[in-house]
Amino acid sequence: MSASLASECNEVKERYDNCFLKWYSEKFLRGTATSDECEPLFKQYEQCLSKALKARGIDSMLKEARDDNRENDAEHMRPKR
Amino acid sequence: MKIFQQSSEFDYSWEEVSTSNWRKYGPWNEKTPHVIAVDTISRKVDPATGILRTERLITCKQSAPKWVNSILGGEEQSLVYETSYVDPANKKVTMCAMNITYADLLSVRETCVYQPASSAPNAKTNFIQRAEITAFCGGWQKIKNSIEQFTVERFQQNAQKGKEGFEMVLEMSRKAFAEQREMLRIQQESKILQQAAI
Repeated sequence: MSASLASECNEVKERYDNCFLKWYSEKFLRGTATSDECEPLFKQYEQCLSKALKARGIDSMLKEARDDNRENDAEHMRPKR
Repeated sequence: MKIFQQSSEFDYSWEEVSTSNWRKYGPWNEKTPHVIAVDTISRKVDPATGILRTERLITCKQSAPKWVNSILGGEEQSLVYETSYVDPANKKVTMCAMNITYADLLSVRETCVYQPASSAPNAKTNFIQRAEITAFCGGWQKIKNSIEQFTVERFQQNAQKGKEGFEMVLEMSRKAFAEQREMLRIQQESKILQQAAI
């Protein structure tokens, strides 16, 4: 897996990524996922990362990007048929 | 505006491609050292559609030539915001990416789609990549054109490297899964042997 932009988050990121990949290939793709069991690990990773994003001023840039992305969401989250 | 577009096929099933896609920029890929970090910032399965929506932040090492840096400003790293949508029922992965760095001066918007290839839906995956590049930097049209031309050429080079690197990841991934299955098989057999011995 790839590194985090904040090296202090690498360890928790790796644990989360491994959990996610297992869930994705073994449950999500097979249609047997009932819940997101990696959520607790994601919360830890998110907590670490959000500090770094704030400290570097990336959080405000992200907000703009999210606003710009609304059209993509509308197009690709649409239910099929 | 300049447009880059390509489509190709991977000799791997959609399931393999869509799984390996998450580790595209990991250590198995030796072709994209310009990608320094990939962070997931949000992830959720939409209960209505079953679509997995993921937001990621991709950090790249900047390696633009001096003349480009003198116009855009010389940031050392550039950030890309990516939203992806995985629809497992329709076997479709869509990834939309845009630049965050220099967003006031340049817009690079990329869409990639992975779907089972119609020729061999269970064994091959079709890949479509499209990017639109627009420079806003004020002043002369000539400068805008040069910036767009440089960006589309660089995009093309990176797209080629990205594809080669992804092939490496797919190959390693298939090996790793095969080894994992073999390990499981040996473990199970040894259990059977142990029980038989008892």
